[in-house]
Amino acid sequence: MFKRLALVATLLVAASVAQAHPHVWVTMKTELVYDGEGHITGVRQKWSFDDMFSAFATQGLESKEKGKFTREELAPLAKVNVESLKEFDYFTYVTADGKKTALSDPAPDYYLDYNDAVLTLNFTLPLKTPVKAKELRVEMYDPTIFVDFAFAKQNPVSMAGGKGCKADVVVPREMTFEESKKLSEIPADQTNTTMAWGAQFANRILVHCP
Amino acid sequence: MTRSARSAWAQAALVVICLLLVFAALDAALAQPFGMSRNTAPVEVGGFTGWILAKQAEFYRQFSGLIRAAKTDGSAAYTLMGISFLYGIFHAAGPGHGKAVISSYLVANDETWRRGVVLSFASAILQAITAIALVGIAAVLLGATAKMMGDTVRIIETVSYALIILIGLRLLWVKGRAFLRLLRAEKHEHHAHDHGHDHAHAHDHAHGHSHAHEHAHGQPHGQPHGHAHDHGHHHHDHEDEASAWGHAHAPEPQELAGQHWLRRGLAAIVAVGLRPCSGAIIVLVFALAQGIFWIGVASTFVMGIGTAITVTAIATIAVAARQFAGRLAKGKPGIGMLLIRGLETAAALVIIVFGVALLTGYMISERMMGV
Repeated sequence: MFKRLALVATLLVAASVAQAHPHVWVTMKTELVYDGEGHITGVRQKWSFDDMFSAFATQGLESKEKGKFTREELAPLAKVNVESLKEFDYFTYVTADGKKTALSDPAPDYYLDYNDAVLTLNFTLPLKTPVKAKELRVEMYDPTIFVDFAFAKQNPVSMAGGKGCKADVVVPREMTFEESKKLSEIPADQTNTTMAWGAQFANRILVHCP
Repeated sequence: MTRSARSAWAQAALVVICLLLVFAALDAALAQPFGMSRNTAPVEVGGFTGWILAKQAEFYRQFSGLIRAAKTDGSAAYTLMGISFLYGIFHAAGPGHGKAVISSYLVANDETWRRGVVLSFASAILQAITAIALVGIAAVLLGATAKMMGDTVRIIETVSYALIILIGLRLLWVKGRAFLRLLRAEKHEHHAHDHGHDHAHAHDHAHGHSHAHEHAHGQPHGQPHGHAHDHGHHHHDHEDEASAWGHAHAPEPQELAGQHWLRRGLAAIVAVGLRPCSGAIIVLVFALAQGIFWIGVASTFVMGIGTAITVTAIATIAVAARQFAGRLAKGKPGIGMLLIRGLETAAALVIIVFGVALLTGYMISERMMGV
């Protein structure tokens, strides 16, 4: 009797950390914007949504041509998107020489494009204070895994300015089953370890400047 | 304390721990706590749950391709149904779908397993209907935008979470008072053995009457609710008599517990079923955009069946634990019934806590992004 209870209890503990799964897939291209003195001033994002979310988001929108939307027709939706992203820090995190760097709200020139049934959000996140860093880290992820971010296969990262700096893209690799098992063996109260482990699998840009 | 009393406490403690684990599991499974700092790295993913997560995403990802293919290819529609079913099973392991509320409700009301199955299935199918109705009415008839649908969902959420709180409060009222009454009855029994019995008995009758009256007053809802309440009270009046006597081990009278269980359960079904699955909404809108809304409808119902199975599985564990606790309690006069009432009161509290956490946004059941 007690053995059975113990088994049930163990199963429940094992099952106890279930989370949501992605409902939105974003393919992204990122451009790092520098000024003339080697300071990074902003992060320009170009996020393409998956076809299901693109259809969902454009549902009910008026357009002159059926199946096609102009930037003006999409402007209200773009506003809604950008405003709701604010709550999630725009899923973008910048660290300059190990220090967390704050980002401001997007520049007002953001817009949505709709091509081949794919909705793409373009916006620029200016840094609160432009910074010059030897090692810059830019990461995009949703900690609640509702949105799945992935770099575009071609030209995922570009630089506007920043002469002499070199950007490397760290594409998250799939966690192997052994690694997932190892992860689950880490005691639950050692959250820092697991967070650090999880961070290995984020989409990351590493920029080295002279 | 005698050795048998100590072992009774130990067994009861083990049962409580098991139930708490069920609730903890459901709690973690249900919640996307926004108390969690958003600046943290991606959430840690355990081995087993990471696998469930990966499976969910894998099935969900296939929807768009299958829906597009189903436009021209009939066999793709069948595959779509199969994937929808599997998705429903795995997806219900994540936040939402009322696992914790249904299970706590079953524990608090000591419902049978069969009724637990009915409640689980009814709420899951209602969730499917709500999603279909939302997209059907909002998108098809009213040409609503995603934002409007999102706003509608938020209103529905508020109603659903408020209902959950109300259910929990009502259960707390019923079970909590029974628990306190037993606590007082127990104290009386320990003081004066012979007199204690009569005392507790008289105590109970008086309470029984005032109870029914208080409820008649406090019931502004319609007739059906009034009936359910009265029956609920008669039910536990009988139970309390048995325990107040202390030595009467007669099985709890089930007849009055049986009637109107569906009416009582209706509130739980509606509270849980009202909130549609956001994945289903996105799939439905996509199917609509592809011109095959009805295939989306079928897919949603099949998802609902898969969800129902998972919720039923969790509910089964909850009912089994509760029945195990009940059997233990029957062997321990007085203390046993007290612990049972304590368990049921705890279950009612869990429901309230869930409702409040969901309503205040501390816990997120599911999320619609950007709209």
